Amino acid sequence: MIEIEGLSKRYGTKLAVDDVSFTVRPGIVTGFLGPNGAGKSTTMRMIMGLDSPSAGRALVAGQPYARLRSPLHEVGALLEAKAVHTGRTAFNHLLALAATHGIPRSRVHEVIAMTGLESVASKRVGGFSLGMGQRLGIAAALLGDPHTLILDEPVNGLDPEGVRWVREFCRYLASQGRTVFISSHLMSEMSQTADHLIVLGRGRVLADAPIAQVISGATRRVVRVRTPRARALTAALTGPGVTITSFDDGALEVSGLEAAQVGDAAAAAGIALHELTPVDASLEEAYLELTRDDVEYHSEVTR
Amino acid sequence: MTATSDARTPGTLPGSPLDGIRVTFPGVLRSEWIKLRSLRSTLWCLGLVVFISVGFSALVAGVYHVENVAAVPVESGRQLQVLAATVGVSFSQLVAAVLGVLVITGEYSTGMIRSTFSAVPGRLAAYFAKLIVLALVVFLVSAVSLALSALVATAIFSSRGLHTDLFSGQVLLPLLGGACYLAMISMLAFSTGAIVRSSAGGIATVLGVLLVLPVVLSLTASLTQAKWVDNMTQFLPSQAGAKLYAFQPTHEAQVPSGTVSLDVWQGLLVLAAWVVVPLVVGAVLVKRRDV
Repeated sequence: MIEIEGLSKRYGTKLAVDDVSFTVRPGIVTGFLGPNGAGKSTTMRMIMGLDSPSAGRALVAGQPYARLRSPLHEVGALLEAKAVHTGRTAFNHLLALAATHGIPRSRVHEVIAMTGLESVASKRVGGFSLGMGQRLGIAAALLGDPHTLILDEPVNGLDPEGVRWVREFCRYLASQGRTVFISSHLMSEMSQTADHLIVLGRGRVLADAPIAQVISGATRRVVRVRTPRARALTAALTGPGVTITSFDDGALEVSGLEAAQVGDAAAAAGIALHELTPVDASLEEAYLELTRDDVEYHSEVTR
Repeated sequence: MTATSDARTPGTLPGSPLDGIRVTFPGVLRSEWIKLRSLRSTLWCLGLVVFISVGFSALVAGVYHVENVAAVPVESGRQLQVLAATVGVSFSQLVAAVLGVLVITGEYSTGMIRSTFSAVPGRLAAYFAKLIVLALVVFLVSAVSLALSALVATAIFSSRGLHTDLFSGQVLLPLLGGACYLAMISMLAFSTGAIVRSSAGGIATVLGVLLVLPVVLSLTASLTQAKWVDNMTQFLPSQAGAKLYAFQPTHEAQVPSGTVSLDVWQGLLVLAAWVVVPLVVGAVLVKRRDV
């Protein structure tokens, strides 16, 4: 259980995290979604007590992280960058972390086996690929058999097999009753892993709801219609809450009406239709829609 | 402890063999010891301390020209012994300083510090455990290398018929002082590293204090003929600390009036201040700053 109350972080004049409040519950996977620079990593670092908040507080298991008596058993974290000394072997890295809590050496071997690092455990971390570094970070997060997992972009740099492993593993950990909190900037990734979504844009919470609700709430359902009598159809459909956009290729996009209603209205007016297609915005579009005004760096595309 | 499967309400976590583990200071000490010994830079630095110490001792003992061995007084023999054994300290202090800086800045530059502070969120336990492990290791390795240096020097001197009285307090105490000095220099370097958080910056700062500052001050003193500048030099860590491993003659030499000359204990106190002040500043900053 993670509770965030009115959390803010200011860097100079810039508010990286702006009065954020939410709760991450146990037993489900909660996704933390937002474009780069939205404040996800800063929020996670504040939960871990690494950055101190400018205002508000973050509690883990009802306490500030710094007060936990058994932090590695309470929270396992994989933070954005490789938080590992490059000159040390993977095994010694894990062994040193384990020693702080008196975690036995056998558990170090266990997490190495779980993350598939056996063949490189005695190699120095400096030579690791991005994927191997990520696996080592996950191994470190699992070391204390934690109640809560905080994973910042865990699938970054993993091969497809690794991505699937992380996804299934997260779902498994949540099914055991653990709290699993994963950040990503990819909606498609989240849609396959998370039960609940918290969407962050420019440091503010844009959505905090079950994943299906976030998607439907942000999805603009439209009906694409083609007809030789576009003007007549537009007149026939016009009503409150209905917007019609016409395109150069002759297609119309109607939002605010179901496909059936469009078809019925056309039939009643005696207008022939050449196409009638309900179009669901993809997850990715839903997400872009949601964060459209909150992306820090827009990339301009000329049409 | 065994994992039990009895009477768990649905929705609660399965029992873990790790239930009941705690962060403890002995655990953090063990962790820092594992970290220190598992880096190649540590082994290189410590090896270098031994090599420099023994090498310079052999060199000095070997080239020292002694006329009429029988006429050398006992105390001069001891003085020669101390000089030969500790001559490497002014070089090995640089290695101890580099090691002290790297122990902490290596964690900042690689991001390891976030792992460390996630495991030890109180932070100060990790800070002081690192310091203690570093200081103990530097002290022990320095003590061993100074002892080796003394043995090598003794062997060389006695092969030429000069008995140097190795086991007298006048010889052994400066050797112990040399080990203390090197350990304290590594502590000073450690706190500096914690304050500046960059390897290059930390090493430059410490070497500046140890090497450049004494030169600048004594140049200023000789150019301006100002006695107080000259006296200030005595309070630099390298000068004050040098008293710890200097030979102590039975009869103190006369000090001209107006000139400051510290004795062993005053030197130790001054050096201790150089260690404690940055250590406290470093502790406050480590506790406060975002990582």
